[in-house]
Amino acid sequence: MGHVNITAPGMITGEFAQLPVARGRRAPARSREGVLVQRGLEASLISREQAGYFEIAGAHLYTVLHEVADPLARVLLVGAFASERHSSYTPWVRWARYLSERGIECLRYDYRGIGESTGVFEELSFDDWSEDVEVLAGWLQSRSPEVPLVLHGLEVGALLANKAFVAGLGDALLAWAPPNSANEVLRSALLRRIAVDNMFRSGDQRKKLPEYLQQLETEHIEVDGYRWSNKLWRDSFHLELAVGIEDSASAVSSTTRPVRMVPLNQTAEPLVKGSMYRSINPDLSELFADNFGWIAAAMADQGGNHGLSH
Amino acid sequence: MVSAIETRELISVVIGGICLRGTYHKAQDPASHFATGRKEKGRVGVLFLNSGFAPRAAGGDSAIYWADSFAKSGYPSFRFDLPGLGDSDGELPSQRMEFARMVNSGHYATFISGATKILTERYSLSGVVMVGHCAGAVSAFYAAAASKSVRGVVALEPYFFREEVPVRTDIRKAMSRWALGSKLARQLSSLFGRLKKLCRTVTGNELPKNANLPLLRCCSRLASAGLPMLMLNAHGPNTAVGEFDYFRHVQNSSGRAGRMVVKIVGGANHSLADDVGRTAVRQNTEQWLKNCFPLVEREEMAFSKQLTVNHQG
Repeated sequence: MGHVNITAPGMITGEFAQLPVARGRRAPARSREGVLVQRGLEASLISREQAGYFEIAGAHLYTVLHEVADPLARVLLVGAFASERHSSYTPWVRWARYLSERGIECLRYDYRGIGESTGVFEELSFDDWSEDVEVLAGWLQSRSPEVPLVLHGLEVGALLANKAFVAGLGDALLAWAPPNSANEVLRSALLRRIAVDNMFRSGDQRKKLPEYLQQLETEHIEVDGYRWSNKLWRDSFHLELAVGIEDSASAVSSTTRPVRMVPLNQTAEPLVKGSMYRSINPDLSELFADNFGWIAAAMADQGGNHGLSH
Repeated sequence: MVSAIETRELISVVIGGICLRGTYHKAQDPASHFATGRKEKGRVGVLFLNSGFAPRAAGGDSAIYWADSFAKSGYPSFRFDLPGLGDSDGELPSQRMEFARMVNSGHYATFISGATKILTERYSLSGVVMVGHCAGAVSAFYAAAASKSVRGVVALEPYFFREEVPVRTDIRKAMSRWALGSKLARQLSSLFGRLKKLCRTVTGNELPKNANLPLLRCCSRLASAGLPMLMLNAHGPNTAVGEFDYFRHVQNSSGRAGRMVVKIVGGANHSLADDVGRTAVRQNTEQWLKNCFPLVEREEMAFSKQLTVNHQG
């Protein structure tokens, strides 16, 4: 049996984590963002993870702050939706740690009614989840308003981040695997459930999507352990990428703030849904380095506004 | 931001230098008063393990639902992420097969038994019942054998075979797809099942070649020692097509002392996160907890009763 440390009472019941993560792991310096990376290395030495509950509208959002002393930028990580949260969780946490080790403070959280957050899923809507983003972005920004804030979302999270960005929040937007609308994500989850159901049916007993949608009009449907309402399905058509920033190129002309859209294919699984048989913890260092580089450059470009230079 | 709310608290333990993060669901029965520590004295806690490599909430957040329910029934519940999973520190292998190998050889037992020791001491528990789903159930068996603090195991959809090489998994998946889409394949599959059953009858119900023998020995030892165990499965073994009945094997090898209960939940899927599965797990486990680990009365209530009796005497 391995060595067991019994922690002090304050440790076990107090703040979520007191330990710095990944001590002493040095990020590779890059020429363009050299100064930023160097400052990040210094800041990373005192980064730590602090979990807590954030009260909002009668519920509590589960949040984890990857805290960095004197951060170069802050990133609000808006993760994937419902069951996609579970499959993408490991690389999402690793991405937050990667950024905080490099001097970028991150806040990740669970949507209201999902994961560790409280709230009743079937009573919530995309409006509530948009409110989560707005409130947390405001809180993160308020920690030190002079530090730039990046809104960064994955899948449905990318749409929610996009919506908040269009409303004027954040200094930059980084969207991973943004669908055209939330319905794309819901539809594929529902189709997966239908495929599983139909595995145990034959011939006429097999049901198709329209029959499920008809059922959804009068009752909840359980998908991956979540009870979907008809309202959720209908609203999902309306949460879509804002006109003008559907891709990085069009965003340049419509906003002065940096925007990046990153489509992800199955090589990025399990960040995005794949077979789940390939890898549970793939090497995403290339994706991470590339996107860290973009954040660093975007913040450096805005150096006049935020006191950063390169 | 706060680290605790009325019913939950975020906690962490350090085992072997690795910080494991989790959630504590406070007991909420009438005997509780939400003061950490004292109220749990002498009670059995319930510890949930990761379901495979999913974070501690489990599929459809079912582990949260169950932990909330058990806490409401008076059993303080805990959910932890094992090393490399969820919010915990530590490394996770890149490949699923390597993770399966680690689970199937009992790699996580040290961390789990360490966590049960810490929780038992910190909350003055009489011990811990472990709940594990799928790979979590395998880890729970190994940890129960390694820990003196474990009072029982609830195994949801456990498996008792070793990992297969990836090529074999792919072949099996391809054959399953073919069998589903073709009438001829279904007939061949049915014939194969009958032959398998025949073989099993002829060979005297021998253990399959890919049986996880160390795990089976571990389970048999636990059962023989009289450790209460509840096994909940979505489906029973399909003996009509020659599937081996591992539950019966463990029960048979445990002798008279065995306190193993097997329940089959009809209509649920493997995750047990669907409506049918999560309700069945809650009801069966709550009943089992009450049978095996009845809650002791609150000290002051018991004292008050004692006074009454003395006075009348």
